[in-house]
Amino acid sequence: MHEFSVTQSLVDLCKQEAEKNSMISIKRINIKLGKFTGFSPDSIRFYFEILKPDSRLQDAQLNFKEIPIVIKCDNCKKKITIEEPIMICPECGHSDIELISGREFFVESIEGE
Amino acid sequence: MKKINILKPVLVSNKERALQNRKLFDRMHSLVINIISSPGAGKTSVIYRVVERLRARYRILIIEGDIRGQVDSQRLKKLKVDVVQINTETACHLDAYMIAQALPTSKKKYDLVLVENVGNLVCPAEFEIGEDYKLAILSTPEGDDKPFKYPLLFHLAQVVIINKIDLLSYTDFNLKKAVTQLKKQNPKVRIIVVSAKTGNGIEEVCDYIIEDLNARKKKSHN
Repeated sequence: MHEFSVTQSLVDLCKQEAEKNSMISIKRINIKLGKFTGFSPDSIRFYFEILKPDSRLQDAQLNFKEIPIVIKCDNCKKKITIEEPIMICPECGHSDIELISGREFFVESIEGE
Repeated sequence: MKKINILKPVLVSNKERALQNRKLFDRMHSLVINIISSPGAGKTSVIYRVVERLRARYRILIIEGDIRGQVDSQRLKKLKVDVVQINTETACHLDAYMIAQALPTSKKKYDLVLVENVGNLVCPAEFEIGEDYKLAILSTPEGDDKPFKYPLLFHLAQVVIINKIDLLSYTDFNLKKAVTQLKKQNPKVRIIVVSAKTGNGIEEVCDYIIEDLNARKKKSHN
């Protein structure tokens, strides 16, 4: 449900950027979405279809690129990709962990004419 | 076809507004706690108990977020502190704009701002409101697997309160399992076990908040 307001922000951001760069029609929106966020691409796509009837966005497609959860251990200094967000180093068991990626949710670029 | 690099967070406007809220709170030297749990975990009851103990010593503002109605704010108004109700209508979380609009326009200053978010373990975790930290509440009847199922909130929360401990023996909640899981997801988390019903453990929550408030007071005098 919260993807509705998020998708609205997405639409607003893309419209603004297109306007600024005199892009009349957006064809593709490239989004980077971390695995450790509360957002589902399917829900965003669903709401995007409802929100897109706008001249600049009507032909636009959403392209999601998933960003894995990567942690860095302060003890053994290793960077490790993990599936579940457990903040314990799988190598040495230390819990001084820095989250390097996985929380991203941004528009990387827009393509169009 | 041309390509324009944007590299901006989708929630950029909420983030900016949250930063503005933060600046405002900093000017007031307020400690702002964003309280998040599922519906019925006991947010209002915990707030009630905490404010009951702190209201004589600190200036407190409560911001109540609910989809509809004034039920919670009416209950909290009995405490004779300032309470603002936000009705989100359809939104399942509070965002930084709603907080900005809800703030009293008077020049009144608050030591402590408690924000009761909409009952939900998913969305409120993603929307910053300008808080100092998030406090999550988990209650025993909900089950000890909640942190596992809703990892983001329990990873981000600085404090997790396990509420309704008086009901422990009536549920299958495994306290050790819950604590172990929480520590795995959030090694630095402070866990406090309470019963808002009996008042057990509330003192510890208050002490934690007071420590922070006193540190702030010292800082504002310097």
